[in-house]
Amino acid sequence: MMKMKITLVLLAAGALCAVQQAQAHHAFAAEYDVAKPVTLSGTLTRMEWVNPHGWIYMDTKEPDGTVKHWTVETSGPSQMSRRGLKKTDFVDGMSLQVKGYQGIKDQSLANGRTLVLTDGRSFYIGSVGGPNDGADK
Amino acid sequence: MTEVAFPSYRPFMKYSRHRHAAAAVVLVAASLLSGCAAPAPEQAPAPAAPPFRPVASIREVMNSVIDPSVDEVWNAVKSVVDDGRLTEHTPVKDEDWAEVRRHALIVSEAANLLLMHDRPVAPPGAPSLAPGVELTPEEIRSLIDKNPDGWNFYVQEFQDSLKPALAAIDAKNAQALFDAGEKIDTTCENCHSTFWYPKAVASSR
Repeated sequence: MMKMKITLVLLAAGALCAVQQAQAHHAFAAEYDVAKPVTLSGTLTRMEWVNPHGWIYMDTKEPDGTVKHWTVETSGPSQMSRRGLKKTDFVDGMSLQVKGYQGIKDQSLANGRTLVLTDGRSFYIGSVGGPNDGADK
Repeated sequence: MTEVAFPSYRPFMKYSRHRHAAAAVVLVAASLLSGCAAPAPEQAPAPAAPPFRPVASIREVMNSVIDPSVDEVWNAVKSVVDDGRLTEHTPVKDEDWAEVRRHALIVSEAANLLLMHDRPVAPPGAPSLAPGVELTPEEIRSLIDKNPDGWNFYVQEFQDSLKPALAAIDAKNAQALFDAGEKIDTTCENCHSTFWYPKAVASSR
């Protein structure tokens, strides 16, 4: 019985990931709200360095002390590589800051524009079609 | 033995050639004249309509055939940071490579489905998936009809973008397959930003 519950949880988690990645080809403005910029400071729980878009999973602490799980879409890994970011820059549990825009339907989804690492390095991680906010300069 | 001379031989041949040439001219002229006089041949029948019978709309082909399979191509090679380590995911066994090749072929051939002009953009009455940002099916159809060459170009560009992926798969070169992924995405975006959400692209510039 316990084994079945674990399997169901894993299936549900897998389905969630699949849904998020399947949404990747809509227009930026169809998924993300440019009127809702967010700055997320927290801890990396998972990172997927994958085409066509990378995914950062991070936890932030809410004002009431609860932990919120965020899924952040990034640009493609080759684009991030060309800007100097490497997959080995990501370490499970590391602190990081992401600036971006919140999802329209999914409030725990964001489109990352800028990633700041604890060593002070900053990278543009925005997807094609995002707002002209100067983050790529 | 008396030697017989044939003095008339050469003139005869010359005369014969002239006669044949004249006959040929007469025949050609006659056939041309008879051709002019004959009723115009019936026009060749119009080519039969292609035997294609679209069942799904473009939107359904994208969601049911192309998207799931191209995700398999993209996800075949990836790196994941989780549980305190970086894990590389690549096809390993022959069966793994065969599976990702199967999906790359599905996508490549499904591109041809998008070139069938009579295929509707979406099921009847289907709305825009993001009103105000993404066009309605009717607006998309209008854009395709105004620019069929552009539509064909972008679809074939997308189809061509799978070739490096297929070559990488055949060479069992995971890094090349990973690198091919960006071009596939670019060709998706080129078409989408032209025919699906051109307004959204214009507003982001």
